[in-house]
Amino acid sequence: MLTVKNLHASVGDKEILRGINLEVKAGEVHAIMGPNGSGKSTLASVLAGSEKFTVTSGEVTFLGEDLLPLSVEERARRGLFLGFQYPVEIPGVSMANFMKLAVNERRKYLGKEPVGAAEFLRMMREKSAVVELDSKLTSRSVNEGFSGGEKKKNEIFQMAMLEPELAILDETDSGLDIDALRIVATGVTKLHTDRNATIVITHYQRLLDYIVPDYVHVLYKGRIIYSGDKSLALRLEKEGYDWLINEYGE
Amino acid sequence: MKDNERDILDSLERSDYKYGFTSDIETELIRRGLDEEVIRTISEKKQEPEWMLEYRLKAYRHWLTMEEPKWAHLTIPPIDFQDIIYYASPKQKKALGSMDEVDPELRRTFDKLGIPLEEQKALAGVAVDAVLDSVSVKTTFRETLAEKGIIFCPISEAIREYPDLVKRYLGSVVSYADNFYAALNSAVFSDGSFCYIPKGVRCPMELSTYFRINAQGTGQFERTLIVADEGSYVSYLEGCTAPRRDENQLHAAVVEIVVERDAEVKYSTVQNWYPGDKDGNGGIYNFVTKRGLCRENAHLSWTQVETGSAITWKYPSCVLLGDNSVGEFYSVAMTNHFQQADTGTKMIHIGRNTRSRIVSKGISAGRSQNSYRGLVKIGPKAECARNYSQCDSLLIGDRCGAHTFPHIDSRNSTAVVEHEATTSKISEDQLMYCNQRGLSTEEAVGLIVNGYAKEVLSKLPMEFAIEAQKLLSISLEGSVG
Amino acid sequence: MMNPDEILKSGLFAVFAGGVISSDTDISRPLLLLDPRSVDVSVERTDSEVVLAILHTRTDESGVNITVGEGARLSIVELYLAEAFSEVRISQRVSSSCRMVCAELCGANVSYRMNLEGEGAENVLRGLFVASGADHCTVNIVTNHLVGGCKSDSMVKGVAFGQATGEFRGLVYVAEDAQNTDAMQQSRNIQSGGARISAMPQLEIYADDVRCSHGATVGQIDDEAVMYMRQRGLCEEEARRLLAEGFVNDIVCRCDVEPLRRIMEERVAEKTEGLR
Repeated sequence: MLTVKNLHASVGDKEILRGINLEVKAGEVHAIMGPNGSGKSTLASVLAGSEKFTVTSGEVTFLGEDLLPLSVEERARRGLFLGFQYPVEIPGVSMANFMKLAVNERRKYLGKEPVGAAEFLRMMREKSAVVELDSKLTSRSVNEGFSGGEKKKNEIFQMAMLEPELAILDETDSGLDIDALRIVATGVTKLHTDRNATIVITHYQRLLDYIVPDYVHVLYKGRIIYSGDKSLALRLEKEGYDWLINEYGE
Repeated sequence: MKDNERDILDSLERSDYKYGFTSDIETELIRRGLDEEVIRTISEKKQEPEWMLEYRLKAYRHWLTMEEPKWAHLTIPPIDFQDIIYYASPKQKKALGSMDEVDPELRRTFDKLGIPLEEQKALAGVAVDAVLDSVSVKTTFRETLAEKGIIFCPISEAIREYPDLVKRYLGSVVSYADNFYAALNSAVFSDGSFCYIPKGVRCPMELSTYFRINAQGTGQFERTLIVADEGSYVSYLEGCTAPRRDENQLHAAVVEIVVERDAEVKYSTVQNWYPGDKDGNGGIYNFVTKRGLCRENAHLSWTQVETGSAITWKYPSCVLLGDNSVGEFYSVAMTNHFQQADTGTKMIHIGRNTRSRIVSKGISAGRSQNSYRGLVKIGPKAECARNYSQCDSLLIGDRCGAHTFPHIDSRNSTAVVEHEATTSKISEDQLMYCNQRGLSTEEAVGLIVNGYAKEVLSKLPMEFAIEAQKLLSISLEGSVG
Repeated sequence: MMNPDEILKSGLFAVFAGGVISSDTDISRPLLLLDPRSVDVSVERTDSEVVLAILHTRTDESGVNITVGEGARLSIVELYLAEAFSEVRISQRVSSSCRMVCAELCGANVSYRMNLEGEGAENVLRGLFVASGADHCTVNIVTNHLVGGCKSDSMVKGVAFGQATGEFRGLVYVAEDAQNTDAMQQSRNIQSGGARISAMPQLEIYADDVRCSHGATVGQIDDEAVMYMRQRGLCEEEARRLLAEGFVNDIVCRCDVEPLRRIMEERVAEKTEGLR
């Protein structure tokens, strides 16, 4: 589904990604871990097409198509979803209006008719139940006045609405209390099928108790220095990153 | 009116202007009035080169075509410009070699003012240029500064000694045609300070000019020119006082600052001209043009504490011409009795990534009128310019006025400009709280006002900050019953 | 969008030519002043809120004088669909209230002069302008607190893009002895492309026991939000349009005259189309 080959990206003169290789197939869950500043969020942003970063070399294919020339919205419409670490507040723009536009853009790309009002409302109700998102929140402005937990739930709710092929969740667990974490994580698990894939970026093992990864990658200084299965996450939780950095870091 | 407010006001009226003495110094005056001959006389007395005289005459001829600005929120009685003596100087027999040769009365004057003219004040680390009436009487520490290549001298001397520098920069920031008072100043300025900091030099001490009007019936028109060459730094202080007189005296100064690439200038003023008596008689009309030009990465910071003058018309400004340049304006303006102040700043953003910050604290008491007036202009090429302005007013008593007149003009759609202003009075609760802890109302008001002005006072160099704090308390004496 | 004819025929409004609004006046439907040139209005009934709609569809000069009598309540919705040059003068008596929603949807020059002359009077104004193309939108607001104990709160949100100019001039004046005044005035603007915003919010205060504040901001459409919306599949233009709409949305929401709010919404959406 997603193939990343030797991806380099920088902001200004500073190179942040220094040769990322990653292969994600349908039905898989990948976890990306690593110390602060290792480039995890950058990787997510670059894959989503953020213009803050410049890709200096490398290749990315998504569903058989070269991803890099595509704009942020073109990638989104093709089914690449980024769950933001800090979801943006958008005053005055209602969730319903925003989601309707987004869903219809995706449907248009897929060659489907725009969704009707009744059908859309039914979808909203159904999908907000996935993350136990208070349905009142969907009548408010996007993320405005939402608590930290509500914002993260709202991200997963939007993911449910858009049914992406690939979801990249950037620290979706940060700032969540234990109940919210469970709700968000089970939401993600419920959405997981053998036709889609998820990349979870996280600091903590605890999220991986719910979302069981097929692969765990450790990112350090802009490179994946080690990959393993879910047991790696447990070891990292206990022993930290030093042993890996000593062995595989430069 | 509540009792304690009355007490506050009463004590405000009792408060005294401690710099209101006159000095008995023999003074040389020229005749009253203004015409080309007077300008020639001034130029001659200053032994100026021909080009300087030409500049003055050009300014004078332009001035004749101009009118006094009327837009400020000020009531200015008509000024008879022919009834002013444009040049006065303490009589001196010869050029001064050392401090000992200075007229003892003159020295006493400056001692009374607490100005560190004497060499032993070296510890204070301040180099002073003292301007009495129209003449710079003594500049200290010139030798120490000269070692670093820093020029700090009376401007009249600079015109003779460093004509190239003066010619290059004089009028380059404030043109003689800029406004009515700048034109008048350009025609008749008699002295002031000149300062040049060479490339890459950090001025090792604070530079200071102290202005004093002494003679009766005279105006003071000093001119300050500061040039901070590439990568240099200087902190500059300006103080001023005048004797107590029933007549109004005119002070129309021009301060020009050139901040070259990567240089930084801090300009601090404690303006304490005689404000007039409690009935509004006398006091200085302080009509001043101050402006700085910032090149790439330059930084100019204006800090002013304005407590004096009957009428203040003053807008220290920054022209942010170079990319990434920064302008700041920190102001405390306090008016009492019948004082009027219309002061603020202009931040002209021309270069990219230019940033400016304005913090203005107005305090009005008695029957005074205190206005903040500001312009933040973002030019079409000022990509990503930023400005933040905070303008607060504090009212003490119900017969005064506090006004805020900002103008934002943004022509670049990447700019972010924010202006906020609030008006309030000292709350009964705050006073009650302080009283309960044993403070007199007077102490409490002093405390609260100083707290209110703290953000600005903290920008002043230490010695000045203490002086300014005292000044605020004195001007407010008994302002809280 | 409904045109003036349709509005008149819709039967949703009662056409009003000015004069006294007393307890005999039928106010079951909003009263409509259509393209008023020079009109005096006096609200004298106190039993319920009077809703007055003012609609400008012609390029013309307009002057409306409104007196809100003691204890009366007035709600004004004013829409500028043509380049009118208009002034609304409002005198408010003791304990009167007046809430206003004004939308400048083309390059008009509009002035509001509020005189709070009776104790306890309250005025709330919410305005918006959307300036596109070569529009020049001007809003002048003068709030005179002539006596104490009154409250005013004005907020104007402006969007300017293309080569347009948006201009805000405000003044809160508090007369001597107008103690216990509570006054607030805000100008919030976003700017895009080659547009220009000029804001002059002013305070002139002669009484000390007051709570007065004003503010003005100039900024732009939040790039982070644009990015966020694009990640959900919206194109940049659509994202920017939505954000501009959202920016003025809280003003639009204040309009409770349904047909006029619809016109506002449609017109705002139309004007922000293709916003860069």
